[in-house]
Amino acid sequence: MNNAQQTARVGLFFILGLALTWVTFETLSGGTLFKNKGYTLVAGFESLKELKEGDEVRMAGVKIGSVEKTRLAGRRAEAVLRIDADAKIASDATASIVMAGLIGTNYIGIDLGTAGAAPLADGAEIQTRVTPDINTIMTEIGNLGQKLEGALSAFGTTLNGDGKGGGLFQKLDKIVTDNSDRVSTTMTNLQEITTKLNKGEGTLGKLINDPALHDELIAAVAEIKSTASQAKGFITDAQGIIAQVKSGQGALGTLVYDETMANNLRVTVTNIRSVSDKLAKGEGTLGKLINDDTLYNTAQSTLKKADRALDGLGDSGPITAVGIVANSLF
Amino acid sequence: MKQLNSILEGFGSTLQLLVRTFSYIGSLPRQRARFIEQCYLIGYTTLPIVAILSFFIGAVLALQAGYSMQNFGAKQFIGSLVGLSMARELGPVMVAILLAGRVGSAITAELASMKVYQEVDALETMNIPPARMLVLPRLAAVLVMVPVLAIIADLVGWFGGAIVAKYTSFISIEPEAYFSVLRRYMKFQDVMNGLIKAETFGFGVVLVCCNIGLNTRGGPREIGAAVTRAVVVSLILILVLDYFVTKILL
Repeated sequence: MNNAQQTARVGLFFILGLALTWVTFETLSGGTLFKNKGYTLVAGFESLKELKEGDEVRMAGVKIGSVEKTRLAGRRAEAVLRIDADAKIASDATASIVMAGLIGTNYIGIDLGTAGAAPLADGAEIQTRVTPDINTIMTEIGNLGQKLEGALSAFGTTLNGDGKGGGLFQKLDKIVTDNSDRVSTTMTNLQEITTKLNKGEGTLGKLINDPALHDELIAAVAEIKSTASQAKGFITDAQGIIAQVKSGQGALGTLVYDETMANNLRVTVTNIRSVSDKLAKGEGTLGKLINDDTLYNTAQSTLKKADRALDGLGDSGPITAVGIVANSLF
Repeated sequence: MKQLNSILEGFGSTLQLLVRTFSYIGSLPRQRARFIEQCYLIGYTTLPIVAILSFFIGAVLALQAGYSMQNFGAKQFIGSLVGLSMARELGPVMVAILLAGRVGSAITAELASMKVYQEVDALETMNIPPARMLVLPRLAAVLVMVPVLAIIADLVGWFGGAIVAKYTSFISIEPEAYFSVLRRYMKFQDVMNGLIKAETFGFGVVLVCCNIGLNTRGGPREIGAAVTRAVVVSLILILVLDYFVTKILL
């Protein structure tokens, strides 16, 4: 192999190496060397948890950048976010550290914010909110476990006793032991009752076993339902009437709620009372008619005379009848 | 004591050779032909074995990782495991070991032969320093070629892992998912760290092999002993350097 060929191969090999290095760099660094690098935002947190440089920044699940740097700034931790130039983040959008997996993988999640809000500028600070991390969750689960253990311990003490007094089981055992005769009697009675029920004896037994009784009961229930329905209608009507009365409609409503009407009624009653008083005292024509017997006697005499005159009419002609009537009356 | 003395002597002579070689760095442009020849031998001819070995290392890494990680449902992270392992550790170390076995042994054998057959003495007689003519082009070539070999080893290893991850029944991870995870958890800095390590190992291996070859004394039997010693020392050097360089780069 001559020198020229050797040189060419070495040169090709070296160029291949450079090309592969370049491809690797472009792939792993996102090809950011000559591209528009976008802009940076600062996100301040109480703690960055497992967040580290190079972690993704996602908006609504879409990768829009990465964490460029993490640093302490006074009493808080800051993450400098490198955001793609074409990703606009609303000024009211909030960033949070999101846990992508249980093995410590985190990313910055940014919500969409309000549609019309102005976009954040380069170097601006984005609002943040705290999300519970795995340690907080585990602590909470631990606390829950302790509470559960306490509750179960208390339950166990209740069931088994705390050494001083007997537990629930001991008390139940004592009750059963002390009342074994009664319990036995009760069980016997229960057995008898259920046997009777099964045989269809007694009211309840018949009710359970007799289909006719069952049908009657169903019919009675249907009747009750019908009655209840009617009662409901009646109540509805009554409610309507009451509503009308309350609203001052109708005679009763006017009577109850119309003050003018009430005043008129009051005057009318007063007048009636005055009339009745006069009647009782025998004043006026009607009072005299009621209280003076003379008028009654006179009327009776007149009626008798008329009766006689009519009797005479049957025996005489029409001309004499007029005379008889006139004579009888006058 | 004799052994310790021998080790210290080896350290000292290697450092002396390094210093002497750096003093001739200005003559490198005039040795272009030798430099190209060494690049060809160190880089181009080593490429096939590096590619084959790294492919199967990546493949077996994916296989073992898939087998272990399927037990706790983490096999989707095989991509990142293979990627990081190859780039940060296995790629550089494997390239360095291949260099020690294939190139280092050849360098030692060549220089030891020249020393034993007094060619080196003849060069010195002609006022041609062996460090300038024999060591400088090799060191320069290894510095240029090792990163290329290492990046090829990384990429071929990743692809080997991807193929195994796809076609192994109990792993069955699509290459898209494999490379997606690999990209998510890897930075270019990881690859750069690997290249720096490979560079350090390659430089150390060639320097040590040159030094052992130039310090060979005796007859032809000593050539074989020198080659064996050079490979053993190179392997130890690689693994010792690996720990310290990793510690520094982390």
